[in-house]
Amino acid sequence: MSGKDRYNAAQTGMDMVVADNLVKVFPSPDGRGKRAVDGLSFRVGPGKIYGLLGPNGAGKTTTLRLMSGLMSPSSGRAILAGHDVSQEPQEVKQVIGFLTSNTGIYLRLSPRELLFYFARLHGLAEDKVASRVAYLIDWLDITDFADLRGGALSTGQKQKTSIARALVGDPPILIMDEPTLGLDVLSNRVILDFIKRERDEGKTIILSTHYLDEAETMCDVIGLLHDGKLVAEGTLEELRTFSGEQRLSNIFLKVIHADVPRLEKRP
Amino acid sequence: MSFQHRIRTIYVKELIDILRDRRTLIAMIVVPIVLYPLLMLGSVQVVSLQSQDLQTEVVTLVTTNKQQMNIIKQWLQVDGQIAKWLRGRVGSSLGNGEAQEAQEDTPFEARVIFGEENDLTEDQIRHAIQSREAQLGVVLSVDNLNDHMTEQWRATLYADPEDIRGAVAARRFSRVLHRRDERLRLDRLDELGLSPAVVAPIVWRQERITTAGSILGLILPLILVLMTITGAIYPAIDLTAGERERGTLETLMVCPVAPIDLVVGKFMVVTTIAIMGAALNLGSVSATVYFGGFEAVIGGGSQDQFPLASLPLILLFLIPFAVLMSAIMMAVCCFARTFKEAQNYVTPVILAVLIPGGIAALPTTRLEGVMLVMPVGNMVLLTREMLVGGSVGFGNIAWVLLSTTLYAASAVAVAAKIFGSEAVVFSDSASLKNSLSRKLSRPTSRPTTSMAMLLASILFPIWFYVQSALQGAEDISAVFMGTAQLMPIFLVAVPAGLCWYFKINLRKTFALKTPALRFLAAASMVGIGGCVIVHEFSILQQRIMPIPEAILATDERLGAALAAMSPWMVLLVLAIVPAFCEELFFRGFLLGGLRGSLGKWTSIAVTALIFSAFHYFVYRLPVTAFLGVVLAFFCWQSRSIWPSVLIHVLHNGLTVGIGLWHDKIPWLHLSSSEVTAHYPLSVAIPGALLFVTGIWLAASGRRTET
Repeated sequence: MSGKDRYNAAQTGMDMVVADNLVKVFPSPDGRGKRAVDGLSFRVGPGKIYGLLGPNGAGKTTTLRLMSGLMSPSSGRAILAGHDVSQEPQEVKQVIGFLTSNTGIYLRLSPRELLFYFARLHGLAEDKVASRVAYLIDWLDITDFADLRGGALSTGQKQKTSIARALVGDPPILIMDEPTLGLDVLSNRVILDFIKRERDEGKTIILSTHYLDEAETMCDVIGLLHDGKLVAEGTLEELRTFSGEQRLSNIFLKVIHADVPRLEKRP
Repeated sequence: MSFQHRIRTIYVKELIDILRDRRTLIAMIVVPIVLYPLLMLGSVQVVSLQSQDLQTEVVTLVTTNKQQMNIIKQWLQVDGQIAKWLRGRVGSSLGNGEAQEAQEDTPFEARVIFGEENDLTEDQIRHAIQSREAQLGVVLSVDNLNDHMTEQWRATLYADPEDIRGAVAARRFSRVLHRRDERLRLDRLDELGLSPAVVAPIVWRQERITTAGSILGLILPLILVLMTITGAIYPAIDLTAGERERGTLETLMVCPVAPIDLVVGKFMVVTTIAIMGAALNLGSVSATVYFGGFEAVIGGGSQDQFPLASLPLILLFLIPFAVLMSAIMMAVCCFARTFKEAQNYVTPVILAVLIPGGIAALPTTRLEGVMLVMPVGNMVLLTREMLVGGSVGFGNIAWVLLSTTLYAASAVAVAAKIFGSEAVVFSDSASLKNSLSRKLSRPTSRPTTSMAMLLASILFPIWFYVQSALQGAEDISAVFMGTAQLMPIFLVAVPAGLCWYFKINLRKTFALKTPALRFLAAASMVGIGGCVIVHEFSILQQRIMPIPEAILATDERLGAALAAMSPWMVLLVLAIVPAFCEELFFRGFLLGGLRGSLGKWTSIAVTALIFSAFHYFVYRLPVTAFLGVVLAFFCWQSRSIWPSVLIHVLHNGLTVGIGLWHDKIPWLHLSSSEVTAHYPLSVAIPGALLFVTGIWLAASGRRTET
């Protein structure tokens, strides 16, 4: 499917991302298994940012790894742009751009070489590779450091390179796992601006974070994740109405408080 | 993007990446280019320093009293207490002994001490040696002194063989005695007017023949093998654990590229670096030896040419070995989360590799028997035989390359499996342990490709060893009986046990379901008609690659033993047991594992190749591989093991039966002297038709299960 077709599919209004009763059980020494993601379902349409919020260990990262085909679900389905992650993992990887604060870049390759490499891995036709890379370098202001080795780049420059890398296949869906974790204000700004721009271009974005104010300003729909389960979901307005609280942090605490006994069990 | 394009993309990127790393360059280029000349020069320096040491070495010789000292000095033909001794030609004047001895020895000096007041006792002399006051003790006694025809001296030498100076002194003193003994003997014979031949009925000399490869041939293969391994280590760690440590592995895994592509691309880079390393090492060693003028030193004194012509061939043979080592290193390093952890894993692997390498490096080990398929060891031996310039048989080369390739393929399969697994992408050390725990294994329907390949690789040398051990049995029927008894254990019980442990569905793994009738009918046709095809195939092959006489003779011996057994026993041992066991293992376990990640024809081809390799008989490799394809094809088509079991029983049974009792089946027109003769057309044409019809029937059969 070419990029254009994907957007056409997106414009027909179908949900680009569907998680359907996703479950991921990790083996645990007691043999019963740990349910890191426990019956998660949500849908995201094109041009929307879906924010997965939750404390550490809530299952955000696992969910995003399941969505991107890095892990296979124990049960349930994840469907991205019409492809089932379990059935067609390679097709899913074609339609997503994946970015985390951990996704590193190659220290001995320049951003330009790195982008060429990933463009080819994404199956871009050889005549399109150079123009796509040139476009991204220009668009993300990489030109100044495009030919330096990765090891010589600053954190912000590395982050820009990572963004370009995630976008190189022109994916209609972006999956970002705490993309701003540990970044300074400037680098943080680069990421957030980029996410908004992509949303405005009609891309579907799933974002996990535990910076609540970030979620407040960025996300169209927010899903609150706790112990692998979605405890509340909606626009910020809906959540405010539902909980009677204004600030997202208070909403979050209130929703979780509904589940006090379990909270106490947590170490 | 095509497979080749993806692999090329990955390969080029990884190669650039690794070659930009200073550590790779140092390990790969600087070390071999600088190290060998330095090592070689260094060792030559040490040797010459040592011989200089020996020139000024003074040995203290202890004897009973002054008289004895004087006699010894007289014998050594020197004045004073310091004896400059043993210069000049040493060796038998009759010519006996090693020709080597006819060289000039290094000068050696001795200081003689003795009992001044009282005679030293034997104990005192012993003590002097033990306390290292002296290196050599000599005690003399004499009968018939001054009767020059019957005077006889007895000398006892005392030396500690562990003390190098003592050992050398004793050896040289013995030579002095030997020389004196012979001179006196010749004098006496002369006086009696007798020819020296009276006391020397046999005169012999030993010539040392050395080839340039001799010492080099012992050391260089091990160096090469080690250097190939060393070359693979760094890139293997960097491209797996290093990638994980730097956080780029996750980045890579979200690309639309299958883990196997990544592993193959990376693994090819590791192999490339390993081969480049081996080539540079080989080049550097050869250049040092060749241009450094060390040929004589290393070649054991011979002036022969260094076998330059073998070098490209050796390098060629090193390729499968580099492939194997790269795959093993990658598989091991895939487990590691960090560079340091990977280094820890690699060390025991190198040690494990050095054991067969070391065994092979022993001068007495030869490239035969189990050494042919011993990983690493066979490569060391093959390289050595090439360097020494001996002719290496085609069969032996085939074994070494074939077994190495099988091990390498398994290691790549395992590496791909590990590399793509969640446990590796997301560093969680517990996951690895969990993956080996039965309690946490989830029931699956078939073994994984890596498990199947791994078991095949492990069983391959073991089964070879079992077969070789059985071949040594006195009673030939014990060979057959032993094989038939051990086959169910190795080929059925072991994989079945593995399936039980990992909760793998036995019925599906071994394809035990009842087949459709058409496949059984087709199998009967192929089993019967196949005999004709295989027979003609063998005749054709005999023309191209004839089986050596010696092997045919063994076959006849086996045939005679079989004829003496009861026909039912023969059928049981040669047709029924192998058919069940081999089908369950190759078409069941192995094919079941391979089909998980390989396509139909690749799975069939790989199964057939491994099946034929397990017969350890190079000359029947094509025939068994052909049969392997037919059997695997039937199992694939029918999704059941039973049609191929039927073919196997029929084929083995008929072949053995015709071979043994063809004189009782006159219409086959095969006389005992020409078992390789063609079948009459009246048999061949229906047979071929039957075979083709059977294949067609199976090929057109729909697979009922999806």
